Amino acid sequence: MVSFSASRMVTCRATDMSIKGVLREELANSLRMQKRYEAELAKLRKGSLVKRRIKGNVYYYLVYRENGKVRSEYRGKSSPDEIAAYKAAKSQRAKYRQLLSKVKKQIRFLRGALRGKEPV
Amino acid sequence: MEKNPYRLCEEVLRRLRDAGVLDGLVVIGSWCVLFYEAYFQSRDYAPTIRTRDLDLAVPIPPRFPQNVDVTSLLKELGFVIDFRGSEGYIRFLHPDLILEFLVPERGRPASKPFDIPALGINAQPLRYLDLLLAHIVTVTFRGIEVHLPHPANFSLHKLIVAGRRHSEKADRDRDQAILVMGALSDHGEEEQLRQAYAGLPGKWQRAVRNGLHDRAEADLLTILKR
Repeated sequence: MVSFSASRMVTCRATDMSIKGVLREELANSLRMQKRYEAELAKLRKGSLVKRRIKGNVYYYLVYRENGKVRSEYRGKSSPDEIAAYKAAKSQRAKYRQLLSKVKKQIRFLRGALRGKEPV
Repeated sequence: MEKNPYRLCEEVLRRLRDAGVLDGLVVIGSWCVLFYEAYFQSRDYAPTIRTRDLDLAVPIPPRFPQNVDVTSLLKELGFVIDFRGSEGYIRFLHPDLILEFLVPERGRPASKPFDIPALGINAQPLRYLDLLLAHIVTVTFRGIEVHLPHPANFSLHKLIVAGRRHSEKADRDRDQAILVMGALSDHGEEEQLRQAYAGLPGKWQRAVRNGLHDRAEADLLTILKR
């Protein structure tokens, strides 16, 4: 015997219109998400603190990119708090970049789906 | 279903549980349709559509045993905070999941968010949420106890809100309501559905009937009328 739920599975599938509505909503969400991740990335401390040993002493340099060039800024003997803060920012930046890349892929997919073409 | 939203949802719930606040929250919205698999435990129950939105309702007054910084907890998982609309309702965004907190709206329509200091967040007041929170069931999802509205309340609520919407969302709400109502019938819970329906104000009952009538759900209408 076909059960009540099973008999409704066909009728309960979302209509094309409903699916398009979902896709549009998801696209709006993803675009907003992209902005938020970009804003969060901009707020993070820039660059990485790298350790250099010079004549037996440890010194820290802040390495970052500016106008396509790698810059190195002397920071001396950084405090453990500063070192931890740069380490945390580096890890968070990597996470956000990965998620931002995922959001961008979603946006491409959703735009493609809404145009009715195969997503790129 | 994609693995990532499922895993992330599990991780969010696990962290909220470990922080001791999950017991004070009720999962509402589309994810319930998925979680009801654990309630019905039937192969015939096959949810078809779901969004990234994970809505968590906070019954009023909020009851949390301790203060928890939910923002930090979610930031560790890669969520970013977003303030929605001019009112500034908090949402937590992640490519796999969008988390929102809601509270029942009582009295005059509220124009500002409801603060939940114990969690360091605010919640959006919404109409009809009391209907969802009137009868709660608990299911186990991957070893985590999750509170959900009883499927009868969930499906009736979906039909009521669908009647007030003029978007494609209304279709989706009706789809979900009918799927869950059908599963309730299979599960031998027609009486619970009838009782929940009988407890609704006349205007809400009308909205439910109209929703089923639009979809020519004669069997479900008969169950409610019995």
